[in-house]
Amino acid sequence: MQSGIFHASYQKDMAFRHTPAQFIRLGLVLAFALIFPFLANNYYLTLANQIGVAAIGAIGLNLLTGFTGQISLGQGAFMAVGAYSSGLMAARLGLPWFVTIPLACLITAMVGALFGVPSLRLKGLYLAIATLAAQQIIEWLITHWDALTGGVEALVVPAPTLFGSAINTDFRFYWIILICLIGTTLFASNLLRSKVGRAFVAIRDQDIAAEVMGVNLFRYKLTAFAVSSFFVGLSGALTAHYRTIISWERFTLETSILFLAMIIIGGLGSISGSIYGAAFMTLLPAILSNLGRGLEDFVPAMARLIPFLQQAAFGLVIILFLIFEPEGIAKLWRDVKDYFRLWPFSY
Amino acid sequence: MFRKSLVFLMLLSVVIAACGPSGSTEAGPIKVGAIFDLTGATSDVGTPYAEGVKAYVDWLNGKGGVNERQIELISADYGYKVPNAEQLYSQYVTQDKVVVFQGWGTGDTEALRGKIASDKIPFMSASYSANLISIEEAPYNFLIGTTYSDQMIIAIKWAMDDWAAKGNSGTPKMALLHHDSPFGQSPWPDGEAFAEANGVEITAIPMPGGATDLTPELSQVQTFGANYVIIQNVDGPASLLLKNAQSLGMSDVQFIGLNWCSDELLIELAGDAAEGFVGALPFTPPSIEVDGMKDAAEYASSKGKSLQEWGVHYIQGWWTMAVMTEGIKRTLDAKQDLTGENIRANLEKIQNFDTGGVTTNISFSPTDHAGNKALRLFRVEGGKWTPISDYISAE
Repeated sequence: MQSGIFHASYQKDMAFRHTPAQFIRLGLVLAFALIFPFLANNYYLTLANQIGVAAIGAIGLNLLTGFTGQISLGQGAFMAVGAYSSGLMAARLGLPWFVTIPLACLITAMVGALFGVPSLRLKGLYLAIATLAAQQIIEWLITHWDALTGGVEALVVPAPTLFGSAINTDFRFYWIILICLIGTTLFASNLLRSKVGRAFVAIRDQDIAAEVMGVNLFRYKLTAFAVSSFFVGLSGALTAHYRTIISWERFTLETSILFLAMIIIGGLGSISGSIYGAAFMTLLPAILSNLGRGLEDFVPAMARLIPFLQQAAFGLVIILFLIFEPEGIAKLWRDVKDYFRLWPFSY
Repeated sequence: MFRKSLVFLMLLSVVIAACGPSGSTEAGPIKVGAIFDLTGATSDVGTPYAEGVKAYVDWLNGKGGVNERQIELISADYGYKVPNAEQLYSQYVTQDKVVVFQGWGTGDTEALRGKIASDKIPFMSASYSANLISIEEAPYNFLIGTTYSDQMIIAIKWAMDDWAAKGNSGTPKMALLHHDSPFGQSPWPDGEAFAEANGVEITAIPMPGGATDLTPELSQVQTFGANYVIIQNVDGPASLLLKNAQSLGMSDVQFIGLNWCSDELLIELAGDAAEGFVGALPFTPPSIEVDGMKDAAEYASSKGKSLQEWGVHYIQGWWTMAVMTEGIKRTLDAKQDLTGENIRANLEKIQNFDTGGVTTNISFSPTDHAGNKALRLFRVEGGKWTPISDYISAE
């Protein structure tokens, strides 16, 4: 029977995971991720891959918005930078994917840092508008810089190959996404245990106080933009190689807002929350469409209304979430864990 | 606190249960997958199109189906969002084992074309982008409507004839005003090449999305001195353009719309500014009665609706599904298995398929999946689309 987790040393306080139960759960999740593709059909693999790609992007955004407190509406555009730089290098220069994807991440990090410059002077809503400008500028460049991007035409990206075989099925691509997602999660969780991560959180909580304590605001804000964009670019680059055909229509402002919704619902300032949020927002349309399909058989008269009910339900679920659990799914999960740890004597 | 979590878990289990249904392929109904836009950006035209596809399937099943086999249409709204389209496509192909697919927009059809080719699923959509007719890149995509490129070429041909018929000499100047997207720019490269080959001076002007006033674009048209303006956009912006042109008094410029801005809705939105507007319509609108609309009209009236209410996109959906069904029927007639490969091969054998005057005759071949290469031009007269030309071919 325990009433809480107490740390007796700094080492323990800084530990990656604190209790044996946490390690066991982590092991179970990993085992599930390894077994899942062998049990699932292509549909579930498609969903899993969509979730994985979205989760990487959501972790990227959460580093910036959830941890450093810098709101960004440029997520879609930064994903586009990653997707197009990787796709173009693969399609035009014939470079292999394991070269183009890291390069694309670096390019996106640079572009992100560039558009992060206004963050030194701008905060809150003003920064939101500045990043909205980034979204518009990048979108415009992609659709109008014909010589480089092919303009509004869709870009065909060759399927990645490894040891001579093409990674062109959901099953094969699952492994690439899984490795990238694990890498991203590990990096992001550890970053937050470092000096840089603490500087991010200090800036979020009170930037003036952080500066007084000696945090170089300009440097750390730009670092946040760069690191965040690196992963957002990774998410975009993976989209390009996974889907093999991309067009600008995939990376609009709507995408930016969808990712903001993911991290808000999943939990701002939580790495696992980003993954829950990505899963939730990716699965919700699938769930609603399947519920709608079931409903159609029960009440055929309703068939015409169902698409609209789905839209309404989508909005309703998000609103209810924000009202009843503003801290997101991550908090919900924490509550479940707390309940069982203290069961049956919860207080 | 725990109750909330419980509700969440329950929701999750409902989902897992709901994700279940999967079917068998042999015998039983023939499964056709479809995605429609009923709630998204193009739902105004997507809804009648979807109704047309569904109506055809229902009508055909009422008659006994294809060779005594019913068609099961598995469809959902995807809200014009590419990721949703990918999810639904993957679900229908993997779990429901659909053999053919009806799509909708340019963005999602393009995004899916690689998957379509590797899954070998014959696919028809309402996107007539010339990118989709490349046999190497899109071997399973079939087009029922005239491609946007061909539509523009036909519009230019008509404009040149009209120019000469009015007693003018030389060649007219033209402009393409287009939606700033793959859909909007799709006709430009081929259209520009054709215009230049015929000595027609032509320019392209993008129409910014969400604009509430298109006077700046129209003044560019005036500066350029265009006599004919071809519009590749949807009804909303196109009707705004016509209204702006009317208030600028640009009655000497003839506006010509390609198929997505030439329908009943445009007339409704633009009102009397639509009078005299010319449309390149690959599908005959229901304001003209032709044989190919009888069944659809009867079906609609049995449901207490009329073709006029649904409009041209209903007919478009109906006949797109009808051509797809012809491919299935020919495969069954040939006693072949209903696989994507066989249906594709049989679709490629379709020659001069008669749609009863709704379109020009449809023909496919193993090297050509653009089934429809000619159309008639219509003019808005007294608030109705009235044919003003015979079928003009782009070739």
